[in-house]
Order: sequence, then C-alpha cells, then structure tokens
Amino acid sequence: MKKQKKLIRLAEMILESVCQLKQQHLRKVQSQLENFCQKCTDVSKDSHLFDVAVERNWSGAAEKIRLRISRNLSDFAFDLQRLKEVIDVDRPAQPKLSDVFAEFNQIERDLGQLNVDLKEGVLSVITDPITLDDISLGSFEIKLNIGAICRLYIESPYRIIALEPNPAGSNENVTHPHVSEEYLCEGDGHVPIRRALEEGRVCDFFTMITQILQTYNPGSPYVALKDWDGYSCYDCGYTVGTDDSYYCENCNESFCDECSGYCKICDDTLCRGCLRECPDCLEPVCKHCIKPCQECERGVCTDCLEENICQTCIENRKENEDEETKPNESNVPMSNASV
Amino acid sequence: MQIMYINNAGGGFANYMDIEENTSIETLFSQKMPNEESHDYLIRVNRQPVPKDYCLKENDRVTITPTKIDGARPVLQNRPRH
Repeated sequence: MKKQKKLIRLAEMILESVCQLKQQHLRKVQSQLENFCQKCTDVSKDSHLFDVAVERNWSGAAEKIRLRISRNLSDFAFDLQRLKEVIDVDRPAQPKLSDVFAEFNQIERDLGQLNVDLKEGVLSVITDPITLDDISLGSFEIKLNIGAICRLYIESPYRIIALEPNPAGSNENVTHPHVSEEYLCEGDGHVPIRRALEEGRVCDFFTMITQILQTYNPGSPYVALKDWDGYSCYDCGYTVGTDDSYYCENCNESFCDECSGYCKICDDTLCRGCLRECPDCLEPVCKHCIKPCQECERGVCTDCLEENICQTCIENRKENEDEETKPNESNVPMSNASV
Repeated sequence: MQIMYINNAGGGFANYMDIEENTSIETLFSQKMPNEESHDYLIRVNRQPVPKDYCLKENDRVTITPTKIDGARPVLQNRPRH
C-alpha cells in the first residue's frame, strides 16, 4: 500500500513536470510570435518612410530605406520559417494519472524492478549485464530525474551509470561506446525519447534507452569497441592497443610508438619528454645514464665518457698536447734557418 | 474504429488513428512499417505482447518500438558539458 502511494505521488510529479514542459513550449511560441510581429511592424514603418521619401523626391533617403527593407526581408524568411517550425509542433494531450501509473506497472513487467527515490524525485531501472562484440560492459542504471523533465529542451534529464564499469582504456569516462560522463548519445533514439518524455510514457523511455545500450553503432561511437582495451597516448592522444602502448617509468604514463623511445645505454623505455640527447653522440638516453664530464661539467652519456671525461674534452686535450709537442718556429736555431 | 498508435521508431509519435474492423496487428504493422521485419520490433497492444493474428479492437493502444536503436556521438549536444 505504501509503495502504491509512493508511485501515485511519483506519477503526480511526472504530470507536473510534463505540464511545465508544455507551458515552456507555449512560452517559446509566444516569444517567436512577438518577435515576428515586431519584424512586421518594422516593415510597416519602413513602408511609410519609403512613401514619404518617394513623394518628396528624396531619392537618397528612398534608396537607403529600400536597402534596409531588402536586408530585413532576407531575415524575414528565416524568422517565418522558425516561427512555423515552433508553431507546427503537435503537442500531445496531457497524459492521465492512470496512464502514468500503468507505465510503472509495465516497467516492472518488462524491465524488472523499478527503483523509486521520492525524496530526490528519481526513477531508475537497472539493465541486465550488457555485452557488445564480446566485450562485457556490465549493468547500467538508468536514472531519470523527474523534476528535470521540464528542462528537457535545455539539458538531459537522465543519467546512465555503469554499475560494474569496464571503461574504455583510452578514456575512463566512456563506460559504453555511446555513453560518456554518464550522458547517452541517443542517435536515432533522440526524437522518440524526447516524445516519450513529453507524453509521460516513461516505460517507452526506459525501453528505448535499454535498446540503445544493447546496440552498438560502429559508425559513431565515443570509443570504438575494437579500440576498447587500448590506451590513449599521453602525449598526442592517439589510441593504441595494449600491445602497442609503451609505459614511461619516469612519468608513469602510456605513450604510442611515435612518442616513446628507449635509452641506448640501459634499454629502458621512456617517453620522448623524459629522454635526453647526448650532446656528443646525439643518441637518446635516460637521465640515469647521463653523467657530468669532470672537465667541462656537461652531461653526456656514459658511453661517451672515458675516465669521466667527455669525448670533446679528450679531443681538446689531444689537440693541446699536439700543439705542445709541435716544434715552435721561434725555437728553431738560426743556423738551420739560414741553410 | 479508432485506436491509439504509438510509433517509437523515427519521429516517435503517438496519435489516434482509424482502422478497419478486424484488422490484425500483423496487417497494421505491414501497413505502417513497410519494408520492415516484425522481429526487429517490440509490438505491444495495451502494454502486452500479442500474437501476430491478434485482431485489434476499438481503443486498443498499440506500441511499436525497435529492438535495436543506434546511438551516436552527437554533432550538436543539448547539454552544458562536454
């Protein structure tokens, strides 16, 4: 009995929200009509001014008004079209309390348990575990916020919550190919879902959401199922499979082949950002394999150091030694020079 | 006679419509959804599944819902985030 009362209260809340939604639509029509009437008034005023200008032979003024009318007429066609779109929408009749109540019974029969949170004004249904292309995505809770139905044209009144989430490897907010940050991309279901909510057909609403969750559209997913276990390269964002991603132990992130490399000394895999280039051999090395030269204090790879001295300093040293051993022209004896 | 027809495919409209007496649900489906297979849809009359030879009655409520609906990443989103 208590549950029945709860459901009746909930049905009343749905009716209130649907009624507010209808009122919003009427206000939109009102606003469009006012806007259109204003445009008509502007044309009428311009027509009068044009008459005056022509009668008084003010050709310059007449030409200006003509151009303004021409410009306004271009907008006029657009405004008329918008008004027609808004006014042509057939608003469904307000559902009855008994209809909405019958929807609840049908939900329990077709979709399983209906969860009601009267305080929060939330109605929810839990789907069966969903598997698409052999990828298990777990069950989802479809949470409909009754109070938000009246804002249907502004924001989505429902959320899709993964109960045993198996998010995409490249984006943990994508829990289903068509769900991101708890929002469902309705695709072909957009219009019928909206119509169902406008008419208080909550069972149809939950059924259609369930059908979308059980269907995979490879043409336009947030993350394609074939890339589900992949990782997004931390650097360039490219999605790569588990086997093609490289983990940088320095920054603890995954990278694609292009954005990663390995240290030529220790063979550790690192991202391009964490690898350094040895100034002597120009090869990529990790920070652990770079040591300062004792003479010039430049960091070079350990392969380029000989007794803690870099190749450049060794070469400089050799050159200096050669110069020292080279016979100085000033030391050459005069007698030999004359010969 | 008049029935309530709710089509959750495409436009998702719900409206009253006139049909001939003794029209079966199968006939109605083939009239309304030509080129479509009935097994791709959940067909309910008065919120209950019915056999295909079920004869529609005055004021019946017929609902047709696709079993597969393609979701998609939207081009324009009607929400503040993302």
